[in-house]
Amino acid sequence: MTLELILLSAGKALFMVMFGMNLAVIMTWADRRQGAMINDRVGPNRAVIWLPKRVAQALVLAPAVLIAAAVVGYVVTHKVEGAPRLGRALLFSQLAIFGLWATLLAIAGRVARSGVKNSFDAWVASIGDPRSFLWLGLGAHAVTLAAAGLLRGTDIGRTLRDVGASAGPAVFAAAVVGGAGYAAWSFERVERVGLRLFGLLHPAADGLKTIWKEDFIPPNADKFLHGLAPIVSFFPALVVLAVVPFGDTLCFGSKAGRIDLTQVMRVVPREGLCTEGAVPLQVLDVNVGLLYFFAVAGTGIVGAALAGWASDNKFSLLGGVRAASQMVSYEVTLGLTLVGAMMVYGTLRVDEMVRWQSQNTWGIFVQPLAFVLFFTASVAESKRIPFDLPEGESELVAGYFTEYAGMKFAMFYFSEYVAVVAGSVLLSVLFLGGWHLPFIDRSGIHLQIGDTVLFHQTLSHVAVIVIGVLAFIGKVVALCWLNLMIRWTLPRFRYDQLMRLSWRKLLPASLVNILVTGLVMLLIAGASASVQAGLKVAADVTQLVIAVAGLSLGVWFVVFVTSPVKKKRILASTAAQFAAHLGGTRTARMGA
Amino acid sequence: MAININGPLGPKKVSGKAIARPTRSLAVQSYVPEIAKGLGITMKHFFVNTKETALGQRNDPVLESIDDGINCISYPEQRRPYPARFRGLHRLTHRPDGSPRCVACLCCSTACPAQCIHIEAGEYPEGDPRRGYERYPKRFVIDELRCVFCGFCVEACPCDAIRMDSGMHAAPYDSRDQFIFERERLLSFSGRDGTFETANPRKEPGEPGHPGVDRTKHH
Repeated sequence: MTLELILLSAGKALFMVMFGMNLAVIMTWADRRQGAMINDRVGPNRAVIWLPKRVAQALVLAPAVLIAAAVVGYVVTHKVEGAPRLGRALLFSQLAIFGLWATLLAIAGRVARSGVKNSFDAWVASIGDPRSFLWLGLGAHAVTLAAAGLLRGTDIGRTLRDVGASAGPAVFAAAVVGGAGYAAWSFERVERVGLRLFGLLHPAADGLKTIWKEDFIPPNADKFLHGLAPIVSFFPALVVLAVVPFGDTLCFGSKAGRIDLTQVMRVVPREGLCTEGAVPLQVLDVNVGLLYFFAVAGTGIVGAALAGWASDNKFSLLGGVRAASQMVSYEVTLGLTLVGAMMVYGTLRVDEMVRWQSQNTWGIFVQPLAFVLFFTASVAESKRIPFDLPEGESELVAGYFTEYAGMKFAMFYFSEYVAVVAGSVLLSVLFLGGWHLPFIDRSGIHLQIGDTVLFHQTLSHVAVIVIGVLAFIGKVVALCWLNLMIRWTLPRFRYDQLMRLSWRKLLPASLVNILVTGLVMLLIAGASASVQAGLKVAADVTQLVIAVAGLSLGVWFVVFVTSPVKKKRILASTAAQFAAHLGGTRTARMGA
Repeated sequence: MAININGPLGPKKVSGKAIARPTRSLAVQSYVPEIAKGLGITMKHFFVNTKETALGQRNDPVLESIDDGINCISYPEQRRPYPARFRGLHRLTHRPDGSPRCVACLCCSTACPAQCIHIEAGEYPEGDPRRGYERYPKRFVIDELRCVFCGFCVEACPCDAIRMDSGMHAAPYDSRDQFIFERERLLSFSGRDGTFETANPRKEPGEPGHPGVDRTKHH
């Protein structure tokens, strides 16, 4: 165990803990803020830190100047020739174009919103619709990419390459500094700048508040167990994240028996894993991964039951009993649902499961029923709406944490969110391919249907790994978001309905899922070679479906955001007529 | 359907259109389509409202109040404009020299149904041309918590000295005595046009255009 390996292990653990906790905090925020948005309200965003003008300007300018200096400095000190030079030219020309249009779009949007304030604003406004910057920018991206493909090898191509490699970084740096400079300059007109961070300061303030609140323990409560329960509830929810891989195995080269960190810049082969210097991106690399998950997640039940029992309160006790029976019931479904997935993947190691999915197809296509069942059961496991019977404030005050206040209450509350994150993490690695994105393998972008390769572009190892980690984070965030949507849509079950759903619907369905999975696997194992090849093509088609669906979602998003808003102005009341006479309601943008 | 009250007792034959009992199909019983529909509505609100808030395209809470979307007023950054005749906090109007127009006639405090106006009248010093002609308010106190904002004081005032056109409503202060507005406080509010005087001019006795008689009983 070298020092590098110890540091890497600590870094991985830190990443996973920070990922889980921060996502839980952001979900706490989103539950309030986006929940309000869904109800046509603005939500809490009044928590604010007022920054003096100069401090705000420095905060905006300093990172921009640092980024610009780092980019220019790196390019000046590291000269490259040949193929890497083309790569650099492409990367920086794309970055420069992106920086330019994004900066101009942001400024144009600001001008359109809050009016022309100087001659630069007037020039921006004279160009017309802010959307034109977006379309121009996307067009420029496409043109440069097409030029790079068409003109490769010609003299013009080489000239363009040199222009891109030298001017690209400069333009990018200028765009970054220019955008930040415009923002800093616009602060000149105000005394102070309010830092609201989209209302993110609210959960931070709430978290700080709980630390100083009174730590109330009921007089006849079991003081030890009362204090232990929040820890028992919170700890497992966080620790289950240890077996989940958040990225593909990282391959460092090995130099004289030690890890060589600089070797991640090269391209690695498509198949197989590196033999030396391999660092799996998961905290705990055990071969019983999924069993560990269930063993540890199961102890979370004890926390709620302990809290209910130790509080010396009948509401708490009822809540604790409800929590225990509910979680035990759904734990059964949770486990049985995954038997089908284990049969298909043929392993208990979570990273091997993701690898199977990246080589074949995502789990949601081979186990669609299991995905739905597991999602339902994992929502129930987190004890949140529509399954929040253990809290049931209409009948049980606050259920098993009735007698908790301050930080102990916050730990219960927080462990629910961490449980949602843990459920989403497991769902994404088991059914949504974890770090895998369609047509991206260890060597780069590789578009292949059946045996025909349509497109291939190598990417450096570190780029592939980073894309994978980002894909994993994106999937988890999307699933957490879906959890929030469910919380804000569905009403609460009745307790007998909850139990009936578990024992009479989900459990038989998961047993049927195991049976059908076994039958299909037997059929496939006995099928002819042509059927096997057809299945392989079908698997590739599913990847294509995912890719097309993802791209269409992106296109839909751009169209949705850029589509103009039509408002119906109706002067229905005397107040409205009066407001229109005065030129509208005095509006001020609320720091988003 | 008319009921024959003279007919025999017993079960009556009911005529009408039979409506089929709604069947609970599998889709309804499984709740899945309905859950999907509900999620769709939630997501629509989420996306539209988040986009409009992020891009600063939120509804104008008054002019577009009938539209879908967020119609909240983010007070105090946004304020609903009050109608022109909105009766807000009282103000005492000024003479050109900045003194109150009020002549302490007590008409307003007499008219006040809530009895929230207290005036202590004072005489002008000896030699002042206004002495014996009119008085001035030594104290002019309005308890804004007792006030019912009926506007009778404004109607009663013969001198256009008290008005409710400040356009302000009472802010939530910390204690009750902060709602007791003294003379100087009432004088410090301007009208909604920002002026402290009123549109109809006041002519002091002796000035040209003064409608009444002065102390020397000359017009």
